[in-house]
Amino acid sequence: MMNWIRHLDQLLRGETTRIEQLRAEKFDVPIVGLAVMIDLLGLIYGACMGAFAITGSGSGHLMQIPATMLKVPALFLLTLVVTMPSLYVFNALVGSRLSFVAVLRLLISAMAVTLAVLASIGPIVAFFSVCTTSYHFMVVLNTFVFALAGALGLAFLLQTLHRMTIAEHFGSSMPVPTASELSVDETNPEANTSGPLQAVDGYVLGPHVKTVFHIWVMVFGLVGSQMGWLLRPFIGAPDQAFTWFRPRTGNFFQAVLDAIWHLVK
Amino acid sequence: MLSGTWLNDSRHANSPRAELSTRQQLVCALGCASFYGLVMGSSGGFTGERAFQPIYSAIKVPVLIWLTFVLSLPIFFTLNTLLGLRDDFAQCLRALLKTQMVAMMAIASLAPYTAVWYLSTSEYEPSILFNAFMFTIASLAGQSTLRRMYRPMIERNSRHRLMLRLWLFICAFVGIQMGWVLRPFVGDPQSSVHFFRQGAFSNAYIIVARLIWHTVTRASR
Repeated sequence: MMNWIRHLDQLLRGETTRIEQLRAEKFDVPIVGLAVMIDLLGLIYGACMGAFAITGSGSGHLMQIPATMLKVPALFLLTLVVTMPSLYVFNALVGSRLSFVAVLRLLISAMAVTLAVLASIGPIVAFFSVCTTSYHFMVVLNTFVFALAGALGLAFLLQTLHRMTIAEHFGSSMPVPTASELSVDETNPEANTSGPLQAVDGYVLGPHVKTVFHIWVMVFGLVGSQMGWLLRPFIGAPDQAFTWFRPRTGNFFQAVLDAIWHLVK
Repeated sequence: MLSGTWLNDSRHANSPRAELSTRQQLVCALGCASFYGLVMGSSGGFTGERAFQPIYSAIKVPVLIWLTFVLSLPIFFTLNTLLGLRDDFAQCLRALLKTQMVAMMAIASLAPYTAVWYLSTSEYEPSILFNAFMFTIASLAGQSTLRRMYRPMIERNSRHRLMLRLWLFICAFVGIQMGWVLRPFVGDPQSSVHFFRQGAFSNAYIIVARLIWHTVTRASR
């Protein structure tokens, strides 16, 4: 367990995704360990998100909290299961040489980063959950928080994909930037503390990295938001009884626009 | 600490004046915030039912400041890590704590003005505005310390500037709602004294959004 937490920490610090590290030992993260971490972090955020249900203005159903705690990790892992085969095929078609396991490691790492951001905004969301009377505000706030965490996760995905491609394409025979060139630059002290989201100096994104990334973002975004819609309710509308799932109507984007409209009306 | 002696490490070591431990500083800062709360709630005097308002406010002001701080810290930590600034985080945290303490000492030093204000007027709404003004001054004092302590870090790595702005944004976002939920601090002379106001658990941002919406729709008619 402590080992998995350490791996997550190294991912967040960007130690796992340094180019020299990627070239030396490939992208070595424990898939099961990160999946467990995603579950735990999702449970934390789910508790914060579902807390709205127990307040006077929520639905008042205690079951909403365990339901949301289970649904948040399920949302991410199910999205991964649904999209994984097609993402790998697109990636291979575009000409990337990443193996299936490498793609899986990459995607699960990006999800772990997303969930880490979500869980750390959790306390703020929980605070707003218990002291807000507006259901629609909670819908908009949670959507915004998910979008922010998702954006950071995708930034991680893009940069790591880029670094993996550099590490792969420029084998040991090519003049790749060495550790000292990359990270110890007297004139540019910022390079000394390169995080996982910073672009690598001296390399532009390859065309196929861009194509793969764009396809992934689209597939992830569409499937993820629709998966969220299928798994609702997460927050629990105050005027509806508790159910595990709602009937299959409408779609995600329409619902978010409705919530914003209700907020100002 | 206020004169900034602790900012300079060599002087810090030699100056017995500045050698307060972190715990002493925390206690001192909490005391300062409570003291301001006590004065803040005393607009109705110390007799009868009104005597509870200063006590409630003395509890609520430190809670407002520290709960906001604690809630905002996890995401600040994660974002710092993601931007590759984890090695500086201990220094960041020290800067943030000092800022809280300076702000609280500043607000305590402004308490006499609030007392004089209450003696000169008994109107409720101007008193709220006056208190808001005092809090603004104290937070500006805190921010100047924060910027001073962040300057060497920003020189080392400009990403710290982004994090500084984000910190102020997160704190403001949480702090505004926290202040709204914990009200009343001053105590409306027309209503009875409560720890939380009836219906206090609402959302500050929605109320502002509705106010703007109604103003706009009325103007467009």
